[in-house]
Amino acid sequence: MEIKRIMCCCGSGLGSSMLVRMNVEKALGKLGYSGIDVSHSSVSDAVEGAADLFVVGKDLEEFVSSLPSVIILDNIMDMNELETKLSEVLK
Amino acid sequence: MKDMLKLENVQIVNGVKDWIEAIHVGVQPLVDTGYVEARYIDEIIKNTEKFGPYYVLCENLALLHASAEQGVIKKQVAITVLKEPVKFKEDGYDVRLLVTLAASDPESHMQAMQAISNIFSDEKRIAMLVNADTEMEIYRQFIAAANE
Repeated sequence: MEIKRIMCCCGSGLGSSMLVRMNVEKALGKLGYSGIDVSHSSVSDAVEGAADLFVVGKDLEEFVSSLPSVIILDNIMDMNELETKLSEVLK
Repeated sequence: MKDMLKLENVQIVNGVKDWIEAIHVGVQPLVDTGYVEARYIDEIIKNTEKFGPYYVLCENLALLHASAEQGVIKKQVAITVLKEPVKFKEDGYDVRLLVTLAASDPESHMQAMQAISNIFSDEKRIAMLVNADTEMEIYRQFIAAANE
């Protein structure tokens, strides 16, 4: 499926999800993708259909296990990990 | 960024006895200056007991926050540098920098997050921050990083 919407999630939807969202936007630019909508939210908003791809930190892995397309980040501040995993999913 | 961070809310502290004291010390400036209610401290402690230290983002950094409904009055950031690191769980990271965030909505603290992102993608800047001798140095670094 073509990915048009990416949602980054954390517990409160305020802190780390926003950082991850900014990193996803940076990574998409670097990888040469455009026209993908990136948002951040609380993990309670991460339901099927809310986005085509969800990005969460490892601590929330269990909350998103039922979703079809998810990237789990071991280190949410690591740009290299994010770029690698994003390009894997988007290719 | 200057309306999100005041010099008076930047502090250098020698050390704390545990993670609970770290939360008290890190949030207190925002209580004293009227940006959060005193209960914001207890809400973060309660959240931690329930969910674990969700705000420890990487080595050295804790982005202390709870949701807007848990006692935020007005958006603001406070910064605490700990000379001696603290752990929020036994096998967790050593944390030397507490960035306390009071967010009134999901979007409007974007610039503060940008500053954190710019600083924490650069090891030299992290080292400069945790080794800073004055609050003014820390304040200036944050303001500069927010405006990049």
